[in-house]
Amino acid sequence: MKKWLHVLWGIAIITVLAACTANSSSEEDNAEGDQAESGDTKTLLLNNGEEPTSFDPPMGFDSVSWNALNNLMEGMTRLGKDHQPEPAAAEKWEISDDGTVYTFMIREDAKWSNGDDLTAGDFEFAWKRLLDPETASPAAFLGYFIEGGEAFNNGDGSKEDVMVEAVSDKELKVTLSSPTGYFLNIISNPAFFPINESVAEENAEWYAEADSFVGNGPFTLDEWKHDSEMTFKKNENYWDKDTVKLDEVHWAMVNDTNTEYQMYESGELDTTNIPADMSEELMESDQLKVQDQAGTYFYRFNVNEEPFQNKKIRQALAMAVNQQDIVDYVTKNKEEPAYGFVSYGFEGPSGEDFREQNGNLVEFNAEEAEKLLEEGMKEEGYEELPPITLSYNTSESHKKVAETIQQMFKEHLDVDVTLENAEWNVFLQNQKDLKHQLSRSSFIADYADPINFLESFVTDSSMNRTGWSNDEYDQFIEKAKNETDETKRWEHMYEAEKILFEEMPIFPIHFYNFVLLEKEGVSDVIRHPVGYLELKWADKE
Amino acid sequence: MVTYILKRLVYMIVTVFIIATLTFFLMNLIPGSPFNEERTTNAAVQQNLEEHYHLNEPLAVQYILYLKSIITLDFGPSIKQPTETVNSLLGRGFPISAELGIWTVLIALVSGVALGVFAALKHNHLIDYMAMTIAVLGISIPNFVLATMLIQQLAVQLEWLPAATWSSPAHMVLPVLALATGPMAIIARLTRSSMLETLTQDYIKTARAKGLSPYKVVVKHALKNALMPVVTIMGTLLAGILTGTFVIEKIFAIPGMGKYFVEGINQRDYPVIMGTTVFYSAFLVFMLFLVDIAYGFLDPRIKLHKEGGSS
Repeated sequence: MKKWLHVLWGIAIITVLAACTANSSSEEDNAEGDQAESGDTKTLLLNNGEEPTSFDPPMGFDSVSWNALNNLMEGMTRLGKDHQPEPAAAEKWEISDDGTVYTFMIREDAKWSNGDDLTAGDFEFAWKRLLDPETASPAAFLGYFIEGGEAFNNGDGSKEDVMVEAVSDKELKVTLSSPTGYFLNIISNPAFFPINESVAEENAEWYAEADSFVGNGPFTLDEWKHDSEMTFKKNENYWDKDTVKLDEVHWAMVNDTNTEYQMYESGELDTTNIPADMSEELMESDQLKVQDQAGTYFYRFNVNEEPFQNKKIRQALAMAVNQQDIVDYVTKNKEEPAYGFVSYGFEGPSGEDFREQNGNLVEFNAEEAEKLLEEGMKEEGYEELPPITLSYNTSESHKKVAETIQQMFKEHLDVDVTLENAEWNVFLQNQKDLKHQLSRSSFIADYADPINFLESFVTDSSMNRTGWSNDEYDQFIEKAKNETDETKRWEHMYEAEKILFEEMPIFPIHFYNFVLLEKEGVSDVIRHPVGYLELKWADKE
Repeated sequence: MVTYILKRLVYMIVTVFIIATLTFFLMNLIPGSPFNEERTTNAAVQQNLEEHYHLNEPLAVQYILYLKSIITLDFGPSIKQPTETVNSLLGRGFPISAELGIWTVLIALVSGVALGVFAALKHNHLIDYMAMTIAVLGISIPNFVLATMLIQQLAVQLEWLPAATWSSPAHMVLPVLALATGPMAIIARLTRSSMLETLTQDYIKTARAKGLSPYKVVVKHALKNALMPVVTIMGTLLAGILTGTFVIEKIFAIPGMGKYFVEGINQRDYPVIMGTTVFYSAFLVFMLFLVDIAYGFLDPRIKLHKEGGSS
């Protein structure tokens, strides 16, 4: 009996030991390798969350692709440290007096990472490809500002009619369908990155692997292990390479915030998001960074559903919500409470901030809310409010906010609402089909102008999802889109936002922000309120 | 035997076909679409996208296109990762999940059987109680809890092993441990109970009476029969573990294929849903088939070819 026991134990112990020694020795090898490397190179350790969906510029329309791609390539402009567009691939540009014709001069020393000259033709090729219906780019609508762009994309026009033309090797002429003051900002977007035409002709999938990738940005794609990691190296062919301080950027792809945080703690990452259950203690950390993001967390009424056809009832519910309490005690993520729809950070022609200028358009006021509810119910002849269901997509954080709002309605108006949650995609479909009464929403700006926020609520917008339609509002938006005079354009937008809150088809909760931890010694990693991560100026001690 | 195998093959194909068809129609019943975005979407852009992926075609046409893709084993491009095909996603993820899975199964099997045998031989002794305590703990602690505890202790506190990612053998230790504990516990319990039963059988008494060494009695005579229930569950276990596990792969940031099962559905990435489902069901059916064949070798009383010949 004992003999075989010993044998089995022996085998088990040997197996375990063998496994352990094999593992520990290889780990040591790795550690040595890492040290040797970090001795002479500056490597920033980042986490991309997951595999980029695509490095084909017009295809990867999401932050997991474009945060990285923004550092591998470069458009005519790049957003600077102050979030304003500055010359990048273009050295300078001229704008016609009516604001519709832009002529870009590309830098003489702008080159591709394979040594080719960057030409205006590469931009023409890329921008027409963005708009080509065959490309089926989800970002194509960003190119609709270009004359002929929308027609080409929806099948009514042809490629030849898109008004982008390479006048010479280094000169690109673009005609817009209407003056667009923020065009220079829009084209900093990765959808407008150039594509090396000869590379793309040779290999249609040049963007799929590190070996074939050709960019023109501050970094090159040195290694790309799909679904696992990427390494960027400083681009020696970049026109402004003296500004770039990092030698390498290493990207992990870890899609779990707890794991990400643990890797940050053990030195495997230089920055991390904050795990939800640790936010309270980490919010006090010295390494905490909070930055604005242009976006709004809000709720939509469906004005086709009782009782929300009534403006006063909508106003009453909106005024019963205490935004400050929600950010202080519920979300606890240092967000700014929102008392309007357009977020902070948009500067007008005379330097004023849109949000500050247009003021607080909806504020918590329990007494006023109670009064409005009473009036509204009288107008509709309600003895009792019809049942209300508040819908949100399944998630712990949305649930907390929803429960708080439910509580606030009960406390301030004695209105009972039922909560209902659904899986994200189902929820979104129902919201678009106007099947909800009152539902959670969010908006993240696609380009840096208040008009991007406000155009959401024009009558046919796919972002409207409230059933609300207002002629006066639509007209202000239309006027703002065609106005050359910036002061007047901003006036139109101020007016439009005021109408939105007079009518109250939505009510805001808070503006979004980025909250993260960053190791000491890391500097100038720029995160724009609208836009993608910038590592051009980043440094690490 | 050959007739039996052929017959089973036909059954397998029919099973996979039925699963694939059901999945296709169920998947189209779920509200939502891959292009459902919170952000503003443009009608023309949406239409271009739908045309690109044939989602504007009638369901019947989509079904035929899809059957074609199964027969040709080419599931086409993923909708959410437009520059990748489903085949390349699975081709990249499966070897990693399988590597993790094979180590997991090996460790679970060796340690599970060993625990079970010790427990049975020392029935109602301290070793038995200890082994079964370990087994109960293994079954009742969910692997994601164990994973987090292992990372916290061994990676963050003691810094012996890396917390996550998949780049060296050291990175494999924690996920394999976290994943193997559950199956190990199940195998240990199964082995113990069937070993206890086997040890009371007459032929074991005969073997002992012949004067065979205890080692020979246990390993050569008892263990072989006691392992039958373990073999039975191995088919499902292998298929489940080798094709990746969503939670463990997510926690350890392992680039396996587990996430495609879940994310494919969340994102309504139809080609990925179909690819993963067909792959998994084909794999599972094949594993069950292997298990049936293994029965024949382990227990001569189960005669596969006779069953095939008589029908």
